[in-house]
Amino acid sequence: MIRTLDQMEKKVLALKKKRRIAVAWAQDPNTIGAIHKAIKNGFIEAIMIGRSSEIIKMCASEGIDAKTFIIVESENETIASVEAVRMAKKGEVDIVMKGLVGTDKFLKAVMDKENGLMIPNSVLTYVAALEIPLYNKLLFITDPAVIPFPDLDQKVAMAGYAIEMARKFGVEKPKVALIGASEKMSRHFDNSVDYAIMCKMADRGQIKNCIMDGPLDLFLACDKKSIEIKGVETPVNGDADVLLFPSLESCNPFYKGLMLFANGELAGLIRGTEKPVIVMSRSESEKSKYFCIVLSCLMA
Amino acid sequence: MLKNLSDLKLLVEGRPRRKLVLAAAEDQHSLGAVIRAWKDNIIEPILIGDKEGIQNICALNNYDISGIRIIHEPDMEMSVEIAVKMASSKQADILMKGKIGSSTLLKCVLNKEWGLRTGNLLSHFALFEVETYHKVIAVTDVAMNIAPNLQEKIAIVNNAVGCLNKLGYSMPKVAVLGAVEMVNENMEATLHAALLSKMNQRDQIRNCIIDGPLAFDNAVSLESAQHKGIRSEVAGDTDLLLMPDIEVGNVLYKSLVFFAKAKVASIILGALVPIVLTSRSDSEQAKFDSILLSAAANK
Repeated sequence: MIRTLDQMEKKVLALKKKRRIAVAWAQDPNTIGAIHKAIKNGFIEAIMIGRSSEIIKMCASEGIDAKTFIIVESENETIASVEAVRMAKKGEVDIVMKGLVGTDKFLKAVMDKENGLMIPNSVLTYVAALEIPLYNKLLFITDPAVIPFPDLDQKVAMAGYAIEMARKFGVEKPKVALIGASEKMSRHFDNSVDYAIMCKMADRGQIKNCIMDGPLDLFLACDKKSIEIKGVETPVNGDADVLLFPSLESCNPFYKGLMLFANGELAGLIRGTEKPVIVMSRSESEKSKYFCIVLSCLMA
Repeated sequence: MLKNLSDLKLLVEGRPRRKLVLAAAEDQHSLGAVIRAWKDNIIEPILIGDKEGIQNICALNNYDISGIRIIHEPDMEMSVEIAVKMASSKQADILMKGKIGSSTLLKCVLNKEWGLRTGNLLSHFALFEVETYHKVIAVTDVAMNIAPNLQEKIAIVNNAVGCLNKLGYSMPKVAVLGAVEMVNENMEATLHAALLSKMNQRDQIRNCIIDGPLAFDNAVSLESAQHKGIRSEVAGDTDLLLMPDIEVGNVLYKSLVFFAKAKVASIILGALVPIVLTSRSDSEQAKFDSILLSAAANK
């Protein structure tokens, strides 16, 4: 079982496979730095799509040899995004990564009905592996980035993707906590209704390969002591692998708070696509971007 | 655990007789059942109705009613009002309907000033003895609530579980019935079932074990449940079946009686006292068993 992002990197290095990545609108120093590190470590080849002059200039100022990747000149961010997606669709690359382009424009290319990368009828969502020094393993969280208020079907899909990712990390039967403000069922919390339905679906094998419970508050999900104090019987038992949040606005501050105040580190991916798609905030560090590339290679 | 309806007798043995008031008593089957329960030391009857009519029926059927209190009230609606008032003032422990429509009786029961309201929802509770099941099986609600919403289903389960607790079931197994055992967004009953199960896990519905949705076969046959790979404490050993609505419930009830020759006892729960509200067409045996159930449930 992979318990840290460094262990994830080791695992990917041990696979001894080289994946091809297309980066859309690539003239971004953090992105170039992260890609360079991955190339140096031997597990990717990269095609940088964007303003070649700027890319070359950035490489020079960072002391990076621009010849380690292929540069494809592109006029604007939309064309760059469409081109990166086209390459993945045609099988020319295994992974697509967002560079300096705005998330909306990039996802529009990814979600294009004819030329995009969506698996038919799938839900586009986001799953991240979060490393928190005070927790004894990685936490897979969803969805901090794509679906504002997931409905039941979307929550079921989110859980499925998070379970799939946790299993890639060697967690055979991940414990999935459906996060609320309390463990009680309440008419005032719509999400508790969805959660109860999902638990029964897991009971009946309609959601597979997991141990699911919810609503649970964060303490009951991740802290054994709280279980003892509250006396709540839950199979998750303070040992969650996956946290499913009721909304983007609850999940997003959760991971940002942990990164900012608790030395958290994160690697995340868009899910629901035929091939891994890396979308990170432009302000994210080179390290985070590197871990996202590593994760995409593990999931590819 | 009750194997047969007659096991209810063991529960009332040695207990003081319950005072049963029969409203609009001039009904042959009701009188027959009441007098039999009286002779078996289960109840102390009070008959309200047209005294001459009551005496005529008893004479015709050789019922010996010497020693039974009769309150003469030829007006049927008035007789119901008197009966309900006796129950609300604790002069009677059980209310029974005689020769009068259910709606008339229920209107009095629900009277805001002198009725039998407790703040709980009224619900119908039936116990079936079927040869092909290893114990009696309770079913709710097959006659009263038409299309209960989630809150009403919670109340119906609580009423039934409270009654089963009194009948000696400390943790009755409750199956929430659906057409399938899977959760299906297009079948509201299966969603309600999932919610009830979770509320039970969280101790928001107590003193029972709830699982659902379960299809009828999974609920009553372990073999069916195992065949489908269902892991459930309830499947195959259900004590109580919660119906999705009255149409399913009523058809199940009648098919058990007509096709499976089931014996049935039933009462209304949720009022100040249990109410024996069997249909006028029910047999004397069914009325007797219902009286027995009402006495056992009236601890």
